Amino acid sequence: MLFEELKDMQWQPDGTPVAAEDLLRLPVFKDISPQFLKKNANATVWRHFKRGEIVCREGEFGSTAFYILEGKASVALASPIAHVKAQGRPEGFLARLTSKLTSRLAARQDDRREDEMDRRSIPIDAPVDLAYDHPVAELAAGELFGEMTCMNYYPRSATVRAETDCTMLEMLRNVLDVLQKSKVFRAQLDETYRRRALDSHLRDVTIFRGLQQDFIDHLRDRVELMRFAPGQSICKQGDPADSFYLVRLGFVKVSENYPGGELVLAYLSRGDYFGEIGLLGGGTRTADCSALDHVEVVRISAEDFRAMVEKYPEVRAGLQRSARERQEANQERLQMVRSVPLENFLAQGLMEAQSLLVLDLSKCTRCDACVTACADSHDGVTRLVREGLRFENFLVATSCRQCRDPLCMVGCPVGAIRRRNSLEVIIEDWCIGCGLCAKNCPYGNINMHSFTAQAQAPAHEVKHEGDREHAEQKKAVVQKKATTCDLCTDHAEPSCVYACPHDAAHRVEPRDFFAGTLGQRVGKSGKARK
Amino acid sequence: MRIDRTHKGWLIASLAILGVSLLLYAFYRVPAAAGSMGGTALGLAFGSAGFAFMIFAALLGARKRVPVYRFGRAQTWMRGHLWLGLLSLPLILFHSGFRYGHGLTAWLMTLLIVVVASGLFGAALQHYMPRVMTREVTMETIYEEIGHVRAQLLEEAEELIQQATGGEKKASAEGSEPDSPGPAIAVSDETAPLRNFYQQELKPFLEKPAARGSALGDAAQARSAFTQLRTLVPASLHTTIEDLEGICEEERQLTLQSHLHMWLHGWLLLHIPLSLALILLGAMHAVMALRY
Repeated sequence: MLFEELKDMQWQPDGTPVAAEDLLRLPVFKDISPQFLKKNANATVWRHFKRGEIVCREGEFGSTAFYILEGKASVALASPIAHVKAQGRPEGFLARLTSKLTSRLAARQDDRREDEMDRRSIPIDAPVDLAYDHPVAELAAGELFGEMTCMNYYPRSATVRAETDCTMLEMLRNVLDVLQKSKVFRAQLDETYRRRALDSHLRDVTIFRGLQQDFIDHLRDRVELMRFAPGQSICKQGDPADSFYLVRLGFVKVSENYPGGELVLAYLSRGDYFGEIGLLGGGTRTADCSALDHVEVVRISAEDFRAMVEKYPEVRAGLQRSARERQEANQERLQMVRSVPLENFLAQGLMEAQSLLVLDLSKCTRCDACVTACADSHDGVTRLVREGLRFENFLVATSCRQCRDPLCMVGCPVGAIRRRNSLEVIIEDWCIGCGLCAKNCPYGNINMHSFTAQAQAPAHEVKHEGDREHAEQKKAVVQKKATTCDLCTDHAEPSCVYACPHDAAHRVEPRDFFAGTLGQRVGKSGKARK
Repeated sequence: MRIDRTHKGWLIASLAILGVSLLLYAFYRVPAAAGSMGGTALGLAFGSAGFAFMIFAALLGARKRVPVYRFGRAQTWMRGHLWLGLLSLPLILFHSGFRYGHGLTAWLMTLLIVVVASGLFGAALQHYMPRVMTREVTMETIYEEIGHVRAQLLEEAEELIQQATGGEKKASAEGSEPDSPGPAIAVSDETAPLRNFYQQELKPFLEKPAARGSALGDAAQARSAFTQLRTLVPASLHTTIEDLEGICEEERQLTLQSHLHMWLHGWLLLHIPLSLALILLGAMHAVMALRY
């Protein structure tokens, strides 16, 4: 038993509020005001789980966090670790003629996508990360999970199951919020993080894979764990660069200001890092970084960062390459913004798009052949809706436009949606199908694709030989994965465009298309005026 | 499909086919003007080509049913449908020697003329109507969603009325002195014109927007009705009236969109069945003519 204080504590039935006196006997609650605990008597309840019982499931929405008092629990991902792959390029002339794109799930070892992350672990809302190849880990007494769900109301990032009979405290946000301000509790969480997650967290960044254990051990006690409230600034553009940051919890908004408004460069989630451009470059911050929600970061001082890049030239080279790519991508976006001063388009987030489906409404007979073709191409699930923003006689149909403020990335409980260097959205293999990105996308451009999949029985279940309850877990279930328009990359032309009988649907590079269209009009009107 | 300069290639090819056919017809037909054209080698060639064009045109429907099959871009099929379908008429006329015939051939000729005419009518509609719809229906929605959007508009209007009249009453009640001579009733009465207007004019219009006789179905009359309503209610309700006016405008746009959509696609109800009948009877004619 981790807590000696629990020995003579009278445990109450499942769901019963925990008395303030009982909470105060636990070390982590020691410096919490008794008045607060009494006033919020119903905000923490006893939870008892039998071995094998599910504590929470991935993708479910919730508002509570769990603190394990006794027992062990496993945390795992039940969703297949794979992405939606549309394929339709069979061999042979006739087969090609009649080919449809069929969607299947493909792991990265079967289908490597451009700019796909090379992470070895999956960030979840717990003190540990899960291995990509074997997404199962163990949680023990004294550990807290569900912080992000509790603080930010994000979906559960993983399924937690009691490995032994467990007793936990389930708490609401007001209690967790106060707890997180408690020095004792913070110290315990930080110690757990330094002990269990910092290694994998650092090593998960491809660039840091070469770090040797002794250097990580050196960093372990030197890094600072910092918290930021929603909206709070972490660093400002132009400030001296004095730290390097790894995101531990929450979402960090990276943005730049330019004439016409703020340009969101990225939303960084657990496992992402920032601050290297300033440290490696001119010594000043090149962008604003602020907390989008409750954020926790690991701060590595400039001194330690410099020591690291001096000791490990490959780390320096990797960081420089990454910084260069980021800067190039940002410059490209800024260039697009600057070169075409079309306020309407900026406001609608169109000009930054890499590729758009536009419908020329002066030709479109609203027959929906494009939508039907899209659905036919993707197992009946359309990724295109013939509705969207209009500009003159053009309708920008709803298909992913990689917009300037990628709200779809906010809140992904496992950080599975992000931008490639080319700024297109990519959904990583560990998407748990919670649907939050689809809900967040203001244009309805992310769709949830259902698959019948054999639920993977995690290793921890297999070890209970002959356990009927566990054996039953391996059955066909419907799993969902988020998808965006893939431009039918296996075909020379997207299906929606190919199937439009009226020459109304076009895939265009927006800057050229709109600038060209507007340019022609300006030219014409200019001539007319002369 | 818009008939624009991108059709130039098809136009030239079609005119070339037509010109060559005309020359052949004139060269062979005029010297043998008295005889039957259909049974000659050239007549059969015209008939076969014309029928082949008809079949190609009819296959567009099949092509659309398998949109992702890589059998050529749908717009190429559509252009072929338009131009070759149109060419089938002169070719068949050359085949028949410009004779209408009787019995099955007369039916065939009638069908062909109706099919080509309806096709031309449809092509004209699909050339102009998309622009009309784009210009006139700025609040366009997906056609299949119109019913749903209408239900939402009705719900929204209902909510606005509830908020305006309920809120007014509450405000009056809160603001009234307990012993004052009934100001709550007096103020709440000020919302009566709005409630009456909603019950008698707006709600029936939103429920049955296509019904004739509603002043709100016409933009000018609706504007006048709302202007009049504004004079009858306190200024605090003018925002609500503006919102209701917006709902009416959207409702009219949906009605217009439905009408335009019907025009855009309604002609196909005639064109498609007749085309199928034409193909069927044409095949029968070919078999009978070749066999007997």
